[in-house]
Amino acid sequence: MHLIKHEIKIDESFYKIEEIRQLTNETFSLKLPRARFAFKAGQHISLGIHGDYQSREYSIYSGENDENLEVLVKEVDNGYFTPKLRKLKTGDLVEIHGPFGKFGMEPKDAETGKFVFIASGTGIAPFRSMVRTYPEIDYTLIHGVRYSTEAYDRHEYASDRYILCSSRDQKGTYTGRLTGYLKDCTFSPETHFYLCGNSDMIFDALEILKDKGFERDQIHCEVYF
Amino acid sequence: MNSNNTKKIAFKTLGCRLNQYETDALVTDFDKAGYQLVGVDESPDVVVVNTCTVTNQSDQKSRTTISQAARANNNAVVVVTGCMANNFKEKLESQDNITFVVENNRKSSILSLVDAHFSGEILHPEQLPQDVFRYEPVRKSLHTRSAVKIQDGCDNFCTFCIIPMVRGRAVSRPVAEVLESVRKTIENGFKEIVITGVNIGRYEDREARFEDLLAQVLEVPGDFRVRISSLEPDGFGDRFVQLFSHPKLMPHLHLCLQSGSEKTLLRMRRMYDVEQFRKTINQFRSVYPEFNFTTDIIVGFPGETDEEFQQTLDAVSEFNFSHVHTFKYSVRKGTRAERMENHIPEKIKTARSAQIRELSEENKLRYYQSLIGKTQKVLVEKATRTKASGYGDLFVPVEFQAKDIQKNTIHTVKLTGLSGEGEKLVLVGELVPN
Repeated sequence: MHLIKHEIKIDESFYKIEEIRQLTNETFSLKLPRARFAFKAGQHISLGIHGDYQSREYSIYSGENDENLEVLVKEVDNGYFTPKLRKLKTGDLVEIHGPFGKFGMEPKDAETGKFVFIASGTGIAPFRSMVRTYPEIDYTLIHGVRYSTEAYDRHEYASDRYILCSSRDQKGTYTGRLTGYLKDCTFSPETHFYLCGNSDMIFDALEILKDKGFERDQIHCEVYF
Repeated sequence: MNSNNTKKIAFKTLGCRLNQYETDALVTDFDKAGYQLVGVDESPDVVVVNTCTVTNQSDQKSRTTISQAARANNNAVVVVTGCMANNFKEKLESQDNITFVVENNRKSSILSLVDAHFSGEILHPEQLPQDVFRYEPVRKSLHTRSAVKIQDGCDNFCTFCIIPMVRGRAVSRPVAEVLESVRKTIENGFKEIVITGVNIGRYEDREARFEDLLAQVLEVPGDFRVRISSLEPDGFGDRFVQLFSHPKLMPHLHLCLQSGSEKTLLRMRRMYDVEQFRKTINQFRSVYPEFNFTTDIIVGFPGETDEEFQQTLDAVSEFNFSHVHTFKYSVRKGTRAERMENHIPEKIKTARSAQIRELSEENKLRYYQSLIGKTQKVLVEKATRTKASGYGDLFVPVEFQAKDIQKNTIHTVKLTGLSGEGEKLVLVGELVPN
């Protein structure tokens, strides 16, 4: 007797929230099961809420080999999407598409290269993914925030590699905007720079790095909005 | 309805070269199946409208085309496909004057849908297979040159662009399939093929990247020439430049700049800056001084200041594009730019658009003048008993006097002057005897 096998297609784009980590009053992370989701550190996903027609892009906050897929979210006052994300609870469904993007490095380069990561706010997300994926990577992370409480998961970075630039309190490594810090820095000529954050920060940082004589090919950008 | 058994079909196409290719492939399908190709005003039994949704204006044109086609052909089967079918699917499905709404990824199977309809089967478009590369190589076409589709979709998520939502994720056609399609298209008699897709520079089939594919296409035997449709200006190296020394590859690129302002480019989330763009242009022109560059520019992107717009004018001047396709920024629902602040009033966009167009026409005049006295190999697209016209190697329009020249043949023409003005400016020349 032959059994007719019907193809059962499972929709793999929906994920149940496993954990919500509150990092500050406004910022939290959503932890999802990674399952078979494969990505490269630095890539982003499109995240939707079950039943809502809109979606937004988020860089992946977890490492390639972590148990969970994690994204970092800052609630935007009067926004449409992030207040809805904020209301989600463990067990709720979110829709994921991706991964997308070329912001990242090849594993062999991660082992041998010298990197400076420059992030504003939640723009730190792809760099946490890179650092968790390549624990031996030679990096300096320059993180610009308003208040030092926004130094998300700072304990995960070696203290001599993490530079906190806080513009509205004096608890950072540097008080002021990260571009102010960057102007006084010197870097070795073979350094590769990865910039992630709002377009104004990226524009200013790019100008500073070009003025220091770095080639555009050494500078990689991911604009956040 | 047509009285004999031969069904008549008409096509209306809006938008990009990819849409035009997909229509051409459908024309081939229906022609092979015995349908007669007619104009929309010749009482077709079927009208296929292949729509575009890239701007508000495209939406408007698509809506008007659908209404006119349906109104003029009351009893015809009206099939609406293309990007607008994805973007406004439910709205279009609710319209009584449309028989079928077919999304992009099922477009290649429209023949099955129409055949089923005429044989009394009830087939819903959702039952059609999803395959963006299922198209037959073009045989019967509405154009002299044929496109070959190598890629579809885009993952760049530029903040102004609806394409990732309506064309889906980036996918590349396997190298072997592309080469087979090129061979068959050449066998079908085409003298020029255009490599087409949504974001072809991101072509990726296992180890093969765009340059690798292009190199293999150029080695396909036969007497034909190759053009590249519009391209994103990121990630090209020396090898890409060198490929243009191949006699089959035509020296023209439509390289999309979009803005000459670094700040605007960042807000648009483009993958390059003006300096990288400059480097690419200079690299080409240092090897091929006459190389023709054309581009797309968006004016009035949210937050675009007078200074930023001036930077775009400066870039258009500096890069000497022979043609600028100017778009006034228009809000696309669901894109990031929709939610940006400082949207620019329509009046300012219109004024900026006019400035770019004026500059573009000056560039074109200067560039065409620089070609007078030189020769071009012209692929004839239109021919009368005494006159022929077509496009030269550099993708410049050329007219020349000649007796009994056939369409789809290539002739050497010495450029002697200009005719017309503005958008209608063409080079005129004399046939160089073989």
